[in-house]
Amino acid sequence: MNDISLSAITGFDSGPTVQLKELESDHIKFSLSNVDLSVANGIRRAMIADVPTMAIDLVEIETNTTVLTDEFIAHRLGLIPLTSTDVDKNFAYTRECNCTDYCNLCSVELNLNVKCTEDRTMEVTSRELISQNDNIVPVTIDDQDPGILIAKMRKGQELKLKCIAKKGTGKEHAKWSPVCGVGFDYDPYNKLRHTTYWIEDDEKTEWPLSENAKEEQPPIEGEPFDYNAVPNKFYYKFETTGSMEAKDVVLSSLNILQAKFDELRNELKREQNMNQYN
Amino acid sequence: MNAPDRFELFVLGEGQKKLTITPDTKLPNAATFTIQKEDHTVGNMLRMQLLKNKKVLFAGYKVPHPLEHCIILKIQTTPDTTPEAMLMEAFDELIKEFSTIRNKFEVIFFFFFFFFFFFFSINIFFFYIFNLE
Ligand SMILES: [Zn+2]
Repeated sequence: MNDISLSAITGFDSGPTVQLKELESDHIKFSLSNVDLSVANGIRRAMIADVPTMAIDLVEIETNTTVLTDEFIAHRLGLIPLTSTDVDKNFAYTRECNCTDYCNLCSVELNLNVKCTEDRTMEVTSRELISQNDNIVPVTIDDQDPGILIAKMRKGQELKLKCIAKKGTGKEHAKWSPVCGVGFDYDPYNKLRHTTYWIEDDEKTEWPLSENAKEEQPPIEGEPFDYNAVPNKFYYKFETTGSMEAKDVVLSSLNILQAKFDELRNELKREQNMNQYN
Repeated sequence: MNAPDRFELFVLGEGQKKLTITPDTKLPNAATFTIQKEDHTVGNMLRMQLLKNKKVLFAGYKVPHPLEHCIILKIQTTPDTTPEAMLMEAFDELIKEFSTIRNKFEVIFFFFFFFFFFFFSINIFFFYIFNLE
């Protein structure tokens, strides 16, 4: 009802159309119409796997007397989302950087140094990670947010380590993905028969309609199957890990896809020119 | 221990070319394009964009093996054009499409908070009018 579409603002409607239904910093819901399924799916794939963020990639453990092993803690640290706004512009990939190992242009150092001195269980959380860069810090929702649990310690145990966060994409490791999966839906009535429902007895009771069904025409009883029909409207809904704003994830994925085709276009041009001289 | 490096997924190897064209030896107006370090994201979009073109007789792609990070795209066209030209057109169309989608998102994000309550009231207004008719 109260969603806005661009055609409503500008008064004309041609080509791809976006309808925005919900938008918060870490959550978005929208639909995209008049695009091909491959393009819609490409955007989904790019948001998951191609949008760069920062995540802890190297951990040097100095002291670890907790019950958890070094590699276990290193893995947990890697999965902590770090605020990554504008990482695309502000950081280089370490593999493309001029430095030999890592430097300020391609990485951020975070330190953790905690020791339990009291006679009760102590919780080490992402809040104890001290970042050298104020822009790249562990994600917290507000001041009340206790942070993400890394380990629990008893009296006398200690954890001291140095982390190096690097820029990367979800294609390399899911810890770099800015989203918690992307909800993607089309053809809620399954008119196109792209799916076959597995059923016990009755399809209607066992497979309730998705909430997107109210935006589409229900199928007419006895209507012949239209084998030429193609999906046209795609429903997206996702939450971010907190590392980026939801709207930035969308915009970034579109930039990345465009850049991919730009690069390929240039390569094809070069290839054609070379063949002409041969 | 013998696992391949993760960056092999997206970093071009030494001396590797992003795109290679192999003209078909048996079919006229046909060619195979090998695109390194790309996957279904790009492959499927290219295939569908090419198939929309009336001059393209055949367009198909495959990822040959999960450990070979490339796509193989085959195109056959009508005699009045070449697979290269059609692929170039597909690139142009897709670049244009993504720039349109991005512009639409940018406008919609810009106006979102400003228009949210405004449109909510408009909707109620129209609902009222249509109910009167
Ligand atoms: Zn560096």
